[in-house]
Amino acid sequence: MENLQLTLSYLDQVLIFICFAVSLNLLQGYAGQVSVAHAAFGAVGGYALAYLVLNAHVGALEAMLAGTLGAALVGAAVAFPALRLTTEWLILLTLAVQTIIVSLVTTVSALGGTYGLQNISGLTIFGHELDQPSDMFPLFLVLTVLVYAVCWRIGESPYGRVLRGIREDEIACRSLGKNVFLFKTVVFGVTAGMAGLAGAMQVINISVASPPLFAFDQSSTMVAMVVVGGAGNLLGSIVGVAVLVLLGPLFEHVLNFGADAAALWRLIAFGVVLIVVLLVRPAGLLPDRVTRNLGKKLQKMATEPADGSDFVPHPDLEEMHVIEEHLGAAGKIEVRSAGGGRGDVVLKVSGLSKRFGGIVATESLDMELRRGTITALVGPNGAGKTTVFNLLTGAIRPDAGEVYLGGVDIVGLTPDKVAKRGMARSFQAVRIFPRLSVLENVALGVQHQPGELLVNLFGNIPRTTKFEREVRERSREWLTFVGMAGFADQPAGGLAFGQQKLVALARVLATEAEVLLLDEPASGIDFQWVNVMLGLIEQIREQGRTVCIVEHNLHVVERLADHTYFMELGRITAQGSFAELTTDKRLAEAYFGAA
Amino acid sequence: MLNPNLDNFLQLLVNGIFNGTAYALIGVGFNIILSVSGRFHIAYAMTYTLAAYVAAWVGFSYHFPFWLALLAGALAAAIAGVIMERLIYLPLSLRALSAGSDPLLVMFVASLGLTVILRNGIALSTLSSSSVNIVGFDNQGKNIGPVTITTLNVTMFVTAWVLLGLLALVLNYTNLGRMVRAVRANWEMSLCVGIDPSLVFVAVFAIGSFLSGVAGVFQATLTSATPDLGLPPFFYALVVAFVAGLTAGPLRIALVGVALGILEALSTMVLPTQFTPLVVFAILFFYVALRPVNLRDLRRKLAAKPHASAG
Repeated sequence: MENLQLTLSYLDQVLIFICFAVSLNLLQGYAGQVSVAHAAFGAVGGYALAYLVLNAHVGALEAMLAGTLGAALVGAAVAFPALRLTTEWLILLTLAVQTIIVSLVTTVSALGGTYGLQNISGLTIFGHELDQPSDMFPLFLVLTVLVYAVCWRIGESPYGRVLRGIREDEIACRSLGKNVFLFKTVVFGVTAGMAGLAGAMQVINISVASPPLFAFDQSSTMVAMVVVGGAGNLLGSIVGVAVLVLLGPLFEHVLNFGADAAALWRLIAFGVVLIVVLLVRPAGLLPDRVTRNLGKKLQKMATEPADGSDFVPHPDLEEMHVIEEHLGAAGKIEVRSAGGGRGDVVLKVSGLSKRFGGIVATESLDMELRRGTITALVGPNGAGKTTVFNLLTGAIRPDAGEVYLGGVDIVGLTPDKVAKRGMARSFQAVRIFPRLSVLENVALGVQHQPGELLVNLFGNIPRTTKFEREVRERSREWLTFVGMAGFADQPAGGLAFGQQKLVALARVLATEAEVLLLDEPASGIDFQWVNVMLGLIEQIREQGRTVCIVEHNLHVVERLADHTYFMELGRITAQGSFAELTTDKRLAEAYFGAA
Repeated sequence: MLNPNLDNFLQLLVNGIFNGTAYALIGVGFNIILSVSGRFHIAYAMTYTLAAYVAAWVGFSYHFPFWLALLAGALAAAIAGVIMERLIYLPLSLRALSAGSDPLLVMFVASLGLTVILRNGIALSTLSSSSVNIVGFDNQGKNIGPVTITTLNVTMFVTAWVLLGLLALVLNYTNLGRMVRAVRANWEMSLCVGIDPSLVFVAVFAIGSFLSGVAGVFQATLTSATPDLGLPPFFYALVVAFVAGLTAGPLRIALVGVALGILEALSTMVLPTQFTPLVVFAILFFYVALRPVNLRDLRRKLAAKPHASAG
């Protein structure tokens, strides 16, 4: 009997840490937000429970709920300053939060100071007394299953796809219409709440809420559990917890070390396990699917000389035609337009100016984009062409000027809002999500996904599932359109640069934005692919979309552009058809080269 | 003696400068390792601790004079740092890259592993005694006006600033310094001009760990060596290194360390001492939280009129 209680007490401990680690994995492995404050959120939940039970005689269940909510609120509040930070600064910020919270509970005398709150006993849940490890086990098991299920649902859904996109590239995510800040705040709050719940379980488990339970070493142990188990793989976290928590009983009861030495040996073994696992399996014991494939792919690319056989550079042209019919030319593509015909002004820019200190990036720039046409922005390096894209999409706020998209001034809108309103951009440096599959990359472009709201994720499962099926179908269609359908399940980071550009094009097309800003779509890819890319862009025009390209390659401009703006030192100095510009004597000498 | 408040202030100021000098030392050491090699080196806390134990051991067992014990401790720290880099960090960073996982995080966890191993290894080998003293330094207090200073503090102060000055000279005027700065700016480019970054990493681990060792020995001489000696100072090193900025030179980092020491000491005038860590980390929190905020942008945003949405 005693043996059973001992075993169960270890299992209770495992369950508690599964709650900590799985929720941390959602934050760290999926959303890429490293936090060394997870135990501190546990402290919020644990101390809230202890305080309410001891002083307000609140029931255990209500106290747990309060602790969870309290931790969630603190977590969401911490998310706010964390929104713009890179990993090392995030570690630092969460370290500060960790220390502040633990210092606070240590110094506030109402919370028992260094000794904490003790004798939290006689708790009952639904009349069921929580005294022995065996009493707690069923409760903890239910709660752990619940935490795991919620994390799994969030992680392996369209919501999780956005989180992983944020992990890979925030700027690209925003350009696809995702409100990155909101996602981050929510995931911080939700995971902190779960940590609060786990902290409350911890306090119930040992009847004490004290500072060391939630100290920095606990937080960093949780990070270690996630990394050892495999970031981005929830099952991995269970393995990570099991390995690291069960080292204790291994040394104390199986190898029969004395209690003092056992504790030290256990920790030494813990350290050794961390290092060995990372050396042998750098992505963790159970790496997430895409990372695993990417690792193999990268290794293969590193060890095998590129003979080109792996590249399959030519999208099947015949297949493209089939798809064209399938899409029914612009028929099936829902372009969100305010109506109106080809040639109407869709985007009107006037007086757009931006200075960086003394440098003039753009100076009273006027331009128009017309429906169903391709407009090219050309000019020497440093003329400010990419800055114009950044200004139009809200990545940079202009000092002056207006940008009317379909008659509405969009200056001041964030990039995600601009994308939602129907203007999406691609990047010169592709900004693909390397550790997402090709299909997932494109799926992130699809707008208005019900699965990107937690309410639908848990409240309207049939609708979410049905729409997700549509998203995958549509993404596959776009991939077929650019000729990359055969790569749908491969990690995007393993593709050649030209292939990545095609995927990025499919991704921006999937937004179904009416206006597409393509930053050097044909640069950095080899000759044959340029043809493919240009053919695609021409088809996009045929579908009635409005395209603006920044391009250096004059052959590209000559073939594609219906209208060309010439930019120098932040100003548009000439415009007209390509032929008109190339016959301009000054431009011909200065830029195009004398004919 | 006329004004007890002023006297108290002066004493705290002096204490703050001395503590801050120790923070300067470890801040510079941690900064050079992180900024050049990119390793989030938590085990920095353990080279600090290890040096204290080595100094205590050679002082007690072999009757080394203090200076020699200090040198032995710091050298042991430097060697330990180099071993960690060559045996663990370097192979791990290469493997992490080829596996497509985040090297920073892998380093962080590996470093955590090293810390846990060393901390408990030390605890295990000194299971009978919880702390070890460094013998051989005759610490004496001296009164200068209303302020009391100790010979230990003065020795530490002079040693620290000599070392920091030397490091600044090395970084600015020697070949090694140029190599360190080149690798810090861009290690891939440094390869192209014939620098082997992995050797520069060894150099910064040696330098940084040496500095941590010096600080550790002085701290343990003041109190005593315990397995957990290094963790609180490590947090200070982090704060100093980051607040000063990862591209800062040693003297600027050192000034941040001294400022932190002074601020911490003076905060005890208005707050109970147990709130000291709160003060330090609240500073860190606000510093990190507000860092990305462009104040000029913010002012403009606040001043901007809402845009008319009609076209």
